[in-house]
Amino acid sequence: MGKYVTLKIDGAGIRAPKGSSVLDVAIEYGICIPHLCHVSNLSDIGACRLCIVENIVNGRSKITTSCTLGVQEGMVILSNTERIKKLRRNIAELLVAQAPNSRAIQDVAVRCGVKEVRYPFRNSDCVLCGRCVRVCEEMWQARAIGFVGRGKDRHVDFPFGVRPDFCKKCGSCIDLCPMTITPCDGPMKPGKEYLCGKCESQLSMASGAMEDTCVWCELGKGFRCARYGHQ
Amino acid sequence: MPKVKPRVKSVKDLTELCKRLRSSAKNFKSKLTICGGTGCHASRSQDVIDAVKKELKKRKLEKSVRVRVTGCHGFCEQGPLMILEPGNIFYCGLKPGDAGEIIAETILKGEVIERLLYTDPVTSNKVQTEAEIPFYRAQDRQLLAQNRHVDPCSIEDYIAIGGYSALAKTLTEFSPEKVIKEVKISGLRGRGGGGFPTARKWAECRSAPGEEKYVICNADEGDPGAYMDRSILEGNPHLVIEGMMIGAWAIGARQGYIYVRNEYPLAVKHARIAIQQAREYGLLGDDILGGGFSFDMEICRGGGAFVCGESTALMASLEGKVGEPRPKDVHTVTDGLWHKPTTLNNVETWANVPLIISNGAAWFAGKGTKGSKGTKIFALTGRVKNTGLVEVAMGTPLRTIVFDIGGGAINGRAVKAVQTGGPSGGCLPLDRLDLPVDFDALYDAGSMVGSGGIVVMDEKTCMVDVAKYFLAFLQDESCGKCAPCRLGIDRMLEIVTDITEGRGRPEQIDLLKELADTVASASLCGLGKTSPNPVLSTLRYFPEEYEAHVNEKRCPAGVCRELIEYEIDAEKCNGCGACRRACPHGAIKGKKKEAHVIDSHKCQKCGICLSECKFDSIIVT
Amino acid sequence: MSVLTLESILKGRRSQPHQLIEVLHDVQERYRYIPEEDMRIVSRELGVPLIEVYRAANFYKAFSLKPRGRNVITICTGTACHVRGSNLLSNQVLGQLGLSPGDTTEDGQFTLEQVNCLGACALGPVVVLNGTYYKHMTPSKLRSLINSVNEKGIEDTDDAKGKTQGKKRQRSY
Repeated sequence: MGKYVTLKIDGAGIRAPKGSSVLDVAIEYGICIPHLCHVSNLSDIGACRLCIVENIVNGRSKITTSCTLGVQEGMVILSNTERIKKLRRNIAELLVAQAPNSRAIQDVAVRCGVKEVRYPFRNSDCVLCGRCVRVCEEMWQARAIGFVGRGKDRHVDFPFGVRPDFCKKCGSCIDLCPMTITPCDGPMKPGKEYLCGKCESQLSMASGAMEDTCVWCELGKGFRCARYGHQ
Repeated sequence: MPKVKPRVKSVKDLTELCKRLRSSAKNFKSKLTICGGTGCHASRSQDVIDAVKKELKKRKLEKSVRVRVTGCHGFCEQGPLMILEPGNIFYCGLKPGDAGEIIAETILKGEVIERLLYTDPVTSNKVQTEAEIPFYRAQDRQLLAQNRHVDPCSIEDYIAIGGYSALAKTLTEFSPEKVIKEVKISGLRGRGGGGFPTARKWAECRSAPGEEKYVICNADEGDPGAYMDRSILEGNPHLVIEGMMIGAWAIGARQGYIYVRNEYPLAVKHARIAIQQAREYGLLGDDILGGGFSFDMEICRGGGAFVCGESTALMASLEGKVGEPRPKDVHTVTDGLWHKPTTLNNVETWANVPLIISNGAAWFAGKGTKGSKGTKIFALTGRVKNTGLVEVAMGTPLRTIVFDIGGGAINGRAVKAVQTGGPSGGCLPLDRLDLPVDFDALYDAGSMVGSGGIVVMDEKTCMVDVAKYFLAFLQDESCGKCAPCRLGIDRMLEIVTDITEGRGRPEQIDLLKELADTVASASLCGLGKTSPNPVLSTLRYFPEEYEAHVNEKRCPAGVCRELIEYEIDAEKCNGCGACRRACPHGAIKGKKKEAHVIDSHKCQKCGICLSECKFDSIIVT
Repeated sequence: MSVLTLESILKGRRSQPHQLIEVLHDVQERYRYIPEEDMRIVSRELGVPLIEVYRAANFYKAFSLKPRGRNVITICTGTACHVRGSNLLSNQVLGQLGLSPGDTTEDGQFTLEQVNCLGACALGPVVVLNGTYYKHMTPSKLRSLINSVNEKGIEDTDDAKGKTQGKKRQRSY
């Protein structure tokens, strides 16, 4: 058999190399599916769930993350149905309510269509995307950090909370962290929990034409996508 | 009893051993079967067992009276229990002091001791045999019946009742494909909660490429309120081992694992003994029964994580890692333990397999409904009279289980709701109890058969509090990897907590429903996907309770602390002081023989005084 | 906690990463918690990255990173026990000893833990104290039980003598 398969994403016929993920293929072809925990050249874990798509199998729709879904011959994928948009919007709303003091997360929320946040804001400084953990393990083989704890207590930490001597001090974890990408000063002081609208891509702005590069591309260093970028 | 442990090298050896064991059992004039399961153990059955053995030794009756300590019989409320043969006499609620009388009167003279018999709560008559007890009569005990006849620490007991003959039949008469076909005809569906057709799972695993394959038994039984698997594994581990071996033969595996949750130390111990004995008898190892089949297995303990009941998390845990589920775009039957094809099934699923092979697929398929065949064990607990393990044919109405077998609610109250399926399931109200226990019927009604837990709730149970309870449980047990589950359950709990503490707003109900849909659709694994079920089912069937909490700031059941007040009825209170002494917060004051008063500022509404008061003087408003 | 004392636990398991959880169970049973030093040794001997050992010790409820008290009170908070009032028992311990789940008293006498179902549902509410199961518990019964432990001083035996909480647990069966 050949090394390629053909599949349909949003009606477009696409030829993709076997073994690639639906998300990789979509980004390659300019179909920008929102994502947060995906980083090119690192493994995909399907943690943020923003890249969900509908996989139509035998007439039934299965919702699954496109980053973990391998391409297969004849696959039919819908990445932007009303149902998917609503789910994505709700997930993004949860993320921004949890960690509003990050421009990248606020951008994620805007791009996914969040207009109002219906939950009390919290002020977390980590969204548990796992980029730092994966780069430390897969690119540097240092394994100096990892996810520690379960459920609400889950956080990224060194063994015993102390930086080990085998940490290579490469700084990759900081480079990739969405919370450090142009971090917002943020008005999230007690009693003043709201989104201030000072950042360019704030909720108050129409999410139409944006000056800057799409946050997905900025985060993933991919190419300028057609959907969210420019007219 | 044979002193030398013969290695069973062939089917003929097995059949002969079985015959030998059965005939030597006839040497005993009487038999005493005492339940030693965890439930009866908590009722101090060990003291009773010791007293009986001591008494028999004193009277030099050890050679003629056989004492067998078995696994759980399922009637835990009545423990410690004993069944005497001949006569099948059933004694319950035993104390160590009864040992002497039992042996003197019943064993030696054949006289029945009335006061030790079970009293039928409806007729108030004494019942002599197990078969006549209403709790047992309405059941169809195929799996549980074996527990009575088997000392879990004795492989010989198991062989004597025909154990391992299904394996022998399989190895001599059935090809792997034929086994799968037989299981398919039986209609067996997974008993762990998923209800996935077992034969289909085995067929997919068999056809997956690779030489190295595994079978796993999921004994993680994390659903609170469910203990069916515990009693099978504790009471009859060989049944599970035999089932796994038949499955391994069918799919082509040579290694198996039983993953037992850490909270079941007795099940771990008995399973380990069983495997050791099976190895000694040549029933695990190379060339089993001369059939050219080699297989061995190991026990692994869980670490205390509900999420490890999920198949990919369980496999991660077996590999020595943290129990985090992974996406199942590629099924575990193809890519499972150490990336090899793996068949994971629940304890009860495996336990059914030898019976299906021995009795035939048609026998199994003859019970139950069109979509749900065979029998299922349920753990009936909560505010019901007869609590314990209940095995019935699929399709039996819930009403039969709760009222005919369970005897209805305790303390003469009314049954308000029945919760099935654990934290993944839902609550069904009284008027839906005609629903049959059937995978599809319960699913359509917003609940689930799940692993088999049935919790009965009465009018003193607040349904919003129940939703809060399950959400708190799931929040504690969520692995935290994916955002919808980690953040979604947290926010659902936040909203439901607001409601129970009097801060609920009407728009929160709509938000709750939308959030529930998001978590159910977008989560990575089954824990997250089913986490909204308790909330959704209570919203569906008990909307008036939510409305009372939100609109009237009132808890109809008198449970939610911020919405209730504790008061002492001065007319009923006789000043006994029991509540004052019991109160850990010093909130009750009063002089002896004078009516006491609760200081509402100090009162934490913990409910301890209410449980102490014998004069019904404390009222909750 | 030197390598010598871990020797029996590690025997036959070296360089087998999948044995991690069983090894941690044995360490927990022996010492009532998992010391940092032991985690480093286990990481080296089993061939598991240190962060993974640390993760496993934090993830699973069976393991604790701080020493548990001499007497462990475990309250079952499963559905059946909850519906029969297991929260009253938690309130009792909070009031009597000031302990929330996971806490240990200052003097190391008691630790309170909650477990999401012990599988003895028919006899709820259930409390386990040092491996012995108590059924149909009420706040007053629990109060008496705790008092009797304080009076009798049911001591966990000395670690130096080699007897452990874990062995005590098994003996009850």
